[in-house]
Amino acid sequence: MGVTRQPRRAPRPYLTYAVQRVVQAVVVVLLAYCFTFLVISVLPGDPVTATLRNPQNNFTEEEVQRIVAYYGLDRPVWVQLWEALSRFVQGDLGVSLRSNLPVSTLIGDVLGSTVVLAVSALVVALALAFGIAYGTRNAPAPVAKALRAFPSLFLSVPNFVIGLLLINVFAFNLGLFQVIDSEGPAATFFAAIALGIPVSAQVAEVLIANLDHEARQDYAGFATSRGLSRSRLFWRHLLKPSSLPVVTVIALTVGELLGGALITETIFGRTGIGSLVQRSVTTQDLPVLQAVVVLAAVVFVVVNLVVDLVYPLLDPRVDLRGAARAPRTAAEQPLETTQGASA
Amino acid sequence: MSHTRPRRLWRSVAALTAALALSAGCASSGQGGAAQGNGQKQEGGDVTFLIDSLGDTWIPNNSAISSFQGHIWGHVTDKLVYVDENGEVSPWVAESWEQNDDATQFTLHLRDGVTFSDGSPVDADAVVANLDIWAKGRPDDGINPIGLFPKTYQSATAVDPLTVQVSFNAPTLGFIPTLGYHGSILISPETLALPAEEQADLSNDIGSGPFTVASWKEGDSVVLEKRDDYDWGPEALDHDGPATLDTLTYKLVAEPSVRTAAVQSGQAQVAYNPSPQELGPFKEQGFTVAAPRYLGFVNGFALNTQVAPFNDVKVRQAVQHGIDRDQILSTVYTDDWLPAESFIQSNVPGATDHSADFAFDPDKAAVLLDEAGWKAGADGKRSKDGTPLSLTLYPNPYLATSKSVDELVAQQLGDLGFTVDIQAYDVVTYGEKVAIGNPSVPAYEVTRSFIDAGTVAGVLTDANNGEDWFNLGQSDPELTQLGSEVASSVSTDERAPVLDELQGYVLQQGYFVPLTQIVQRLYLQSPKLKGVTYNGVAYANFYTAYLEG
Repeated sequence: MGVTRQPRRAPRPYLTYAVQRVVQAVVVVLLAYCFTFLVISVLPGDPVTATLRNPQNNFTEEEVQRIVAYYGLDRPVWVQLWEALSRFVQGDLGVSLRSNLPVSTLIGDVLGSTVVLAVSALVVALALAFGIAYGTRNAPAPVAKALRAFPSLFLSVPNFVIGLLLINVFAFNLGLFQVIDSEGPAATFFAAIALGIPVSAQVAEVLIANLDHEARQDYAGFATSRGLSRSRLFWRHLLKPSSLPVVTVIALTVGELLGGALITETIFGRTGIGSLVQRSVTTQDLPVLQAVVVLAAVVFVVVNLVVDLVYPLLDPRVDLRGAARAPRTAAEQPLETTQGASA
Repeated sequence: MSHTRPRRLWRSVAALTAALALSAGCASSGQGGAAQGNGQKQEGGDVTFLIDSLGDTWIPNNSAISSFQGHIWGHVTDKLVYVDENGEVSPWVAESWEQNDDATQFTLHLRDGVTFSDGSPVDADAVVANLDIWAKGRPDDGINPIGLFPKTYQSATAVDPLTVQVSFNAPTLGFIPTLGYHGSILISPETLALPAEEQADLSNDIGSGPFTVASWKEGDSVVLEKRDDYDWGPEALDHDGPATLDTLTYKLVAEPSVRTAAVQSGQAQVAYNPSPQELGPFKEQGFTVAAPRYLGFVNGFALNTQVAPFNDVKVRQAVQHGIDRDQILSTVYTDDWLPAESFIQSNVPGATDHSADFAFDPDKAAVLLDEAGWKAGADGKRSKDGTPLSLTLYPNPYLATSKSVDELVAQQLGDLGFTVDIQAYDVVTYGEKVAIGNPSVPAYEVTRSFIDAGTVAGVLTDANNGEDWFNLGQSDPELTQLGSEVASSVSTDERAPVLDELQGYVLQQGYFVPLTQIVQRLYLQSPKLKGVTYNGVAYANFYTAYLEG
């Protein structure tokens, strides 16, 4: 950015940085919208003609043409793109080709379910990750050693196995929740566990690696030599510097929470973004897919923006002078090494 | 850190194995037999029906063909006539009907006092509005016509509030049975006038059925509640007044094992489309398995007679005799499935047994191939003038078991010397790539329901905009003649012998290779749920159903 000699804590870098990021975000979102459109247009077929030309329906060619014209699918691709884009800029997401319902209604109906699941899964993931990380430093040696295997175990058990196992035990055998009441608190709790477990693995890996790193530092050795107990050392000295990179990991797992939600939602019978995407992909429901891609792009951009802006506030060692991306690079370092180890 | 990897991996594997073993243990040991009812019929009650999809759109005309939404429509709406699982037509909203001598004009007499759930009457005007929209749709507004509705439809008029006259421009014997098909649902004229986007909202779709929509969520669930003033169920069901059950909840659960386990644990009463191989243990535990057959074509291949090797009748016959249907039944299906006896299901009125024409006989098949000039090479694969005897099968994505069936067929024909390739596509790609008559599709896999055997006439040739399943056009005069005789029949008695002759001819010419009769809708039910009926298109109807205590 070339901003070098500015007084400390000047608002300028924040402002420029934020404006730049917001413009970037808008461009990313628009590109995502167009890209989705083009990719799906390249695929053969669309849901409307696929149904109409099914011989079972026995429509005449004239009927097919008129219905296709109603959906506007008879016009050149670039005209369709232009119209979709102008509607989008005005905030109109169009109408689903599959269900004939407004896309905004469809997304509005399922968004809540996914947000609830993603947030509860994140809470579960963090609780698990911090629990495991604490254990690795404070539990007796054999337990601590075993706990170190948990992240790789969590990553290697497929999401659906965890989900089916939880349903089998807690819904069908113990009767703790009803499969029918899939959005209820009990069912949501278990779905959050299924989704949170793999996410917790990544957070735990980073935490453990960072704790190990911090524990090797001189200050930690010094504190121990002065008689500080393990748990006091953990809480007072190791935890804070080790947790900062977790913020970055959380930003990266947002994608996993949205994507992984598909499998969890399918197994738990929840109706969220994941299941909407699944239905829309199998039927090539373009307007819905475009809207979901845009939504995902917005979420990613916003989460990353928030992380980048919050970072300097959390860590006094990082400031925005010089390069805006400096905090990210620092934070990603431990992540890369641990991912290499667990792969 | 790398030295810890193998140990970590080993630990993970061990833990995963333990988890799976635990899960399997829970699945098998947790439940014993099914809880049987005490034989006491309960008033009221709630039934939960777990389904794998709720289809696409709820626009009544556009959604009708779907195999999923028919479950909802069957409870929310009524039809003019009722067609049972044997194709028998009986009165419903139409109390009686007459036709003229050449089957071009029909008069429907409506039952008095039938109302839509918004209070408006189901009278002659409403029926005319429905007939018009079934026949023509509103294509410019995105409302499709009903695909199977006779294309010969001319017009309908309300003679008086309870009498409707319907005219066709050619004999249309299939008209009355078509009124019992799942597309022909009576919807309030007010709903029919709504734009597509509003009709797509199920709560706006007003019917006159024994249940109404209490709530629904797209892609998730539909909750129906009984209509207390309902008193016009089909005579054939022998049930007066409103339904016994209070509510019906259709809940989408995509994972088949979760659907069946939920019924097993008593959290739901019906699981739709369980996998056939899974059913044996459930039956032993006392659960009810219903595998009603629909009226329609059997599962089988319509052969493209214009492309090699099926341009030779002997090769077509060799395929018919080379398929071991019993092996398909015992490998892919259970006892609830039946072998094909013709190319239409044996419960269709007018279907006759022609199984001898295509009986499994590998020796005969080999001789036929030899005679046709396809000689076996050293590897057992046959070829003629250097061209291998090859065939590509495209499993029908609308039938879940299709791929397994095709894999067996490929094996069986492979033993005979065919080189068989299987190409599986999803629904959209299949619709795009696999079309009848396409030169790259030598064998089109048929799964199709219909309500009247007259439909057969519309697929054989290209006469009258026919579908031309065998790519013959009208080049086979005998087939064309038989087809037009079936189409122009004015009574079922007159039609029956022609239909029999037609079935024999199609099979002897090897135009169609039957596999098995189709059960496309399969239900696993709690033993406490009784009195469920199945209509001619195999939809479970809970109007007459009740729960035992």
